[in-house]
Amino acid sequence: MIVENRFFIAPRTLSLLLVLGLALGFVVADENHSAIKPSDQYYVSQVAPLLKSKCLQCHNAESHKGELDLSSLSSMLAGGESGKIMDLKNADQSLILEKVRSGEMPPDKAEQFSAEQTRVLEKWIELISNDKPGNANPITQHDVLPILLRRCTACHGKAIQEGELDLRSRSAMLRGGKSGPAIVPGDSTSSLLIQNIHTQKMPPLDRLVDACVKPIEREETQLIAQWIDAGAPEVEIKPDIADGTDDPLVAHQDRQFWSFRPPVAGHSVAGLAALSDLRESSSAIDSFIAQKLQALGLEIGPPADRITLLRRVYIDLTGMPPDPDEIEIFLNDKHPQAYERVVDRLLSSSRYGERWARYWLDLAGYADSEGKREQDLPRAHAWRYRDYVISALNSDKPYDRFVLEQIAGDELYNYEQADEITEPMYDALVATAFLRMAPDPTWANITGYVPDRLDVMADAFDILGSSIVGLTLKCARCHSHKFDPIPQRDYYRLVDVFKGAYDEYNWIKPEVRPGIGPVSKDVIGGRTLAYVTSQERRNWQSASAKIDEEIAQARLQPNAEALVKAIEARRPLEPRIQALWDQGEPSPTYIYRRGDPLNPSRLVGPGVPSALSDGKTPLDIQPPWPGSKKTGRRLAFAKWLVRPDHPLTARVIVNRIWKHHFGTGIVKTLGNFGKAGAEPTHPELLDWLAVELVRGDWSIKSLHRLLLNSSVYKQCSTVTADRFAKDPDNQWYSRMPLNRLDAESLYDSMLVASGKLNGRKFGPADTLTTRADGLATVSNSSSGLRRLIYVQQQRKVVATHLESFDYPQMNPNCLQRRDSIVAPQALYLFNNGTVFDLAEQLAKRAFHEVGSDPTKQIEFVYKAALSRHPSGEEAQIALRAINQLTKEYSTKISDGQDAPRQAMIAFCHAVFNSAAFIYVD
Amino acid sequence: MHRVGGGIFGAALTHLLQSENRSALANDSGLSATDLLPREPHFQPKAKAVIHLFMNGGPSQMDLFDPKPYLDKHHGQSLFEKIAGEVESPQAAGSIMRSPFKFARRGQCGMWVSDAMPNLAKQVDDIAFIRSMYTTNLTHEPAVYIIQSGKMGPGRPTLGSWVVYGLGSESQNLPAYVVLDDPLGLPVNGVENWQSGFLPPLFQGTRFRSTGAPVLNLRPDVDRPQPVIEIEKQLLSTLDQMHRRQRPIHSVLDARIASYELAARMQMSASDALDLSQESQSTLEMYGIGLQPTDSYGRRCLIARRLVERGVRFVQLYINSQIWDNHTGLATDMKAACDRTDLPIAGLIRDLKQRGLIDSTLVVWGGEFGRLPIAQLPPDKDERKAGRDHNKNAFCTWMAGAGVKAGTVYGTTDELGLNAVEDRVSVADWHATILHLLGLDYDRLFVFENGLRERLTGVVEVNLVKGILDG
Repeated sequence: MIVENRFFIAPRTLSLLLVLGLALGFVVADENHSAIKPSDQYYVSQVAPLLKSKCLQCHNAESHKGELDLSSLSSMLAGGESGKIMDLKNADQSLILEKVRSGEMPPDKAEQFSAEQTRVLEKWIELISNDKPGNANPITQHDVLPILLRRCTACHGKAIQEGELDLRSRSAMLRGGKSGPAIVPGDSTSSLLIQNIHTQKMPPLDRLVDACVKPIEREETQLIAQWIDAGAPEVEIKPDIADGTDDPLVAHQDRQFWSFRPPVAGHSVAGLAALSDLRESSSAIDSFIAQKLQALGLEIGPPADRITLLRRVYIDLTGMPPDPDEIEIFLNDKHPQAYERVVDRLLSSSRYGERWARYWLDLAGYADSEGKREQDLPRAHAWRYRDYVISALNSDKPYDRFVLEQIAGDELYNYEQADEITEPMYDALVATAFLRMAPDPTWANITGYVPDRLDVMADAFDILGSSIVGLTLKCARCHSHKFDPIPQRDYYRLVDVFKGAYDEYNWIKPEVRPGIGPVSKDVIGGRTLAYVTSQERRNWQSASAKIDEEIAQARLQPNAEALVKAIEARRPLEPRIQALWDQGEPSPTYIYRRGDPLNPSRLVGPGVPSALSDGKTPLDIQPPWPGSKKTGRRLAFAKWLVRPDHPLTARVIVNRIWKHHFGTGIVKTLGNFGKAGAEPTHPELLDWLAVELVRGDWSIKSLHRLLLNSSVYKQCSTVTADRFAKDPDNQWYSRMPLNRLDAESLYDSMLVASGKLNGRKFGPADTLTTRADGLATVSNSSSGLRRLIYVQQQRKVVATHLESFDYPQMNPNCLQRRDSIVAPQALYLFNNGTVFDLAEQLAKRAFHEVGSDPTKQIEFVYKAALSRHPSGEEAQIALRAINQLTKEYSTKISDGQDAPRQAMIAFCHAVFNSAAFIYVD
Repeated sequence: MHRVGGGIFGAALTHLLQSENRSALANDSGLSATDLLPREPHFQPKAKAVIHLFMNGGPSQMDLFDPKPYLDKHHGQSLFEKIAGEVESPQAAGSIMRSPFKFARRGQCGMWVSDAMPNLAKQVDDIAFIRSMYTTNLTHEPAVYIIQSGKMGPGRPTLGSWVVYGLGSESQNLPAYVVLDDPLGLPVNGVENWQSGFLPPLFQGTRFRSTGAPVLNLRPDVDRPQPVIEIEKQLLSTLDQMHRRQRPIHSVLDARIASYELAARMQMSASDALDLSQESQSTLEMYGIGLQPTDSYGRRCLIARRLVERGVRFVQLYINSQIWDNHTGLATDMKAACDRTDLPIAGLIRDLKQRGLIDSTLVVWGGEFGRLPIAQLPPDKDERKAGRDHNKNAFCTWMAGAGVKAGTVYGTTDELGLNAVEDRVSVADWHATILHLLGLDYDRLFVFENGLRERLTGVVEVNLVKGILDG
């Protein structure tokens, strides 16, 4: 483990000897006043001083990194988050020796154990091994419950109580089921539970796979028997939560890291006045950027010309170029605010949401199928989440609300008891699909075991961590985070926050429809809810009722069966919502050593990462509404996440939006603001933007305006040698980047230029057609093609266009697309039939709009595709090529009349292939 | 270093070469490669290229390479209760089942191979067998993800992607990582078997079809006269070069122009590599081409050799669906799988040897897991049609060629063939060993992904399989 913020525990006033005395006193008392053993003497004289000098800085009684305290013999025997550190049966195999020998511990190279010092440890563990064993810890219900949860409660738990038996608590075991009490405290051999295990009646071997349970191990049965024999003792252990005292696992210094402290705008605002003499610094952003550039001997670059700026802002905000008319209007608009008005207009265009939703869907890992299995089970209702995101962005839903709904939408409204499901209720439920986007094989029994479920949960937390929180939380699943002060405990506190909905012992499987894979016998219910708006439901009901009527009519006719079948096929799919919701009564959460559910340790309760809070204040958890069985945990967590002073939430989102406009994040690692992430290049700017976002009621559109109206954004993308030398990677924003269109913008731009765009919004996705060679294209439609965001996003079959232009695998999500340049892209653009078809449409459009004069056509095609006029030279080159092509075609095709049209198609095809089309200045 | 061509493409290559120097691979600063130019490995490699014969489905170790006399002796005895947690389909579980195939010692080395693979049996002196592989999941999809990418689940770069990320390619006219899938259909997990995950898509496998146009979009969907295409290409090139001249220093534009030129050359090279009419009749026969059932797989084996000859770094061969997934009809279905592949694979080894390519090529054979020693019965419980269920705790793989200690048997399973017990080899060990033979250190081949140092072998402990390494 790498420990960067080491500190010495200064407040410790007791001398080492005193501590040792206490520790030894404990040992001595344990051993019934027997004489001091050789191992104890050796500990005091040799081992303790060694540990003190090398290990106790991090692993002491107050601050135990990795849950490990090396300050006393008893705490050493207890071990840490990785389990026992001393193996008394195979002394030489002890974890502590392994860590010391490999040089992994202590992390500071200068502090590492010499061979001689290692021998001291070895000898001591050898000596302890020879001591007679002390009393083991008494067995409690917390040793037994995890076993019952993983082996029995699938059929004797919350969802199903076969034989009316529930094995989730001691009292329920005593109550027992149809055959009587499950346990007789003090007498395991008379306990039905043990008898049935011994005779292999339970868990029934032939039903294990159906229940996604592995057979019970002999050691597990023994442990249960021992517990029963001991009287089935129950001790009250409070789950570990922040409890008002200092956190022993995260130190004060750990919280001082820049991104764990709330953003502050004050100091930066003060700096502005001093920067006021800079050129045209129309906004604070320019000042922040100019300040750093000045240090390099640079200034903000010259502005791009109006027409370049127009294409840039159109592509950035809507993912499409302007119409030729819009170009003329803008060029003729002499109003000083003409550009600002364009920005406003684009932000209120519905195309804005369709463009920017894609960025969020990448983060969420949106897919229309479950993935991970060959069948790639479809998610028939996922598209509602896509529509939710588009609408949320278009309506400028405040970002805090946007987050709140996606994490805890099911705890915002009492939808189960509502008379009418309103739009806001529906939206909030649809939003929770954010937490249902992880690839998921658990619909099938054989890939639905507890470890498979834990993987799904881990992916969901990874999505949450990398998209909204900005930390690599996933690392702490198996061990405390190597770089950030995130103890393993904090991961499991988070697990407990989600337990009401994500419970590995009470798992809701994805819906399995007939014909796809084995249908499970113990499906608890599927992951969709029927709570669409009452209006939509009524519409569906009446449509469905009409079908019923038609069927009733049909039945009156002879040979009705075929007719009925045909009518039934027209019945609309029941509208349902893919969602995540709290079910109440969550299973307890234990920390899993090394992430292994067979190796549970402490019981933990819900909480937030300690480093991001004071580490003392527990999460304020309330039932979402009186009488609710929902835990309210996720709502409390989401509210914490969108607190105005949250150190990460606002910073992470402003950094992402900045990245999408300027090419590089202020923090380059968009999903990792931790210690292994990149440091911000402009920390004051990042903070200022974060504070501005919160101050502006979390309005994303206001943030866009702020960024797009800056001189930094209006710079040209030209690189001079000087700028390149001083700012090679453009991390100081000395120019605007030259951007390749992403897959969607490229496709959508071709649609809009060719006039083939079908502007229909929302609803189920358009399908793909796959050719025998694997080419997947959007199924053709006479009404044109919809934007790519409305095309099916299954994991196994991805549109070839998307695949060629860096569409990511959503496994689980994508933080940043690549923009690669590879030969298959050239092959695709030059040879693919769809691209050719769109070129043909553009050529048709040119004929239609400006007639048959090639000069005018060239002018039109340039405006439609490249949003500008051709230069004189370009027009000349184009005309020459068109003449050549026309001549060539005249001799090649029988209908000479068609030659100009064919030539224009080839020209349009070349334009769609050109760098000028694919790159944005 | 690779010869640099002229013209715009040459200029682009020069740019890429310069950026490559800056991004010398996998050094400790974690900068990463972004092109396919050849790169220096970490240390002197044994192999320059890999041919991976992926045997999707889980070939049965105790019926091919790991004889178990115990099964003959205890045939018919019950075992299910002891291994219930390791059986995928408990309802179909039968008793201990002996192999329907006969084993014999083969070659100089005396390696046991069953009579299901008579041709491979003649090449055992070129091969190192690992009998003690194990994995961590007994279902196809997860286990295939593990064997391809080291982790249970999609989204990670596959072995081939890591290799070409690490080494680039010897050929700039062909993709660095070529996948030869079966015209009859894709394997389990489909195209995810050769994805580059979080590595740039440049490093993902490119499918070559063995009939028709070898690469997707290699030929135009719309037929147009060649002179028209030439005029359009000329127009495009002129416009792009003007565009480029107006944007000095943006070298990304050179790379784009180069990508069009590479596309054009790939059209030629790919067709040439797949043109088997250049091969002699005796070569075709050696691979079983023109004969059934070997023709299809034989073609892919021969194309693999031709690709390796032309500098392709990583070639991966697939068979449709899961011919090795013999839940039923072990005696017939597994034999059929052998019959499709045995001669072509033996032919490939012999051909690589006779051309001296075996000294620089690593051939790897194996599936995603093994099979159980007990029978799996069909619904009518007819034992004659019995097969075997999946087994994650023991399976066989083999390697041949560059750097491999030929004629070796490594590792042991228990008497049932149920568990690997001695010299156990994890999938990570196996991955690391393949990288090692290519001169790559598994620990130093990494990429920073969202601030984390990601490797093929992940965070688990890794031991090279030294016992199969030659010197």
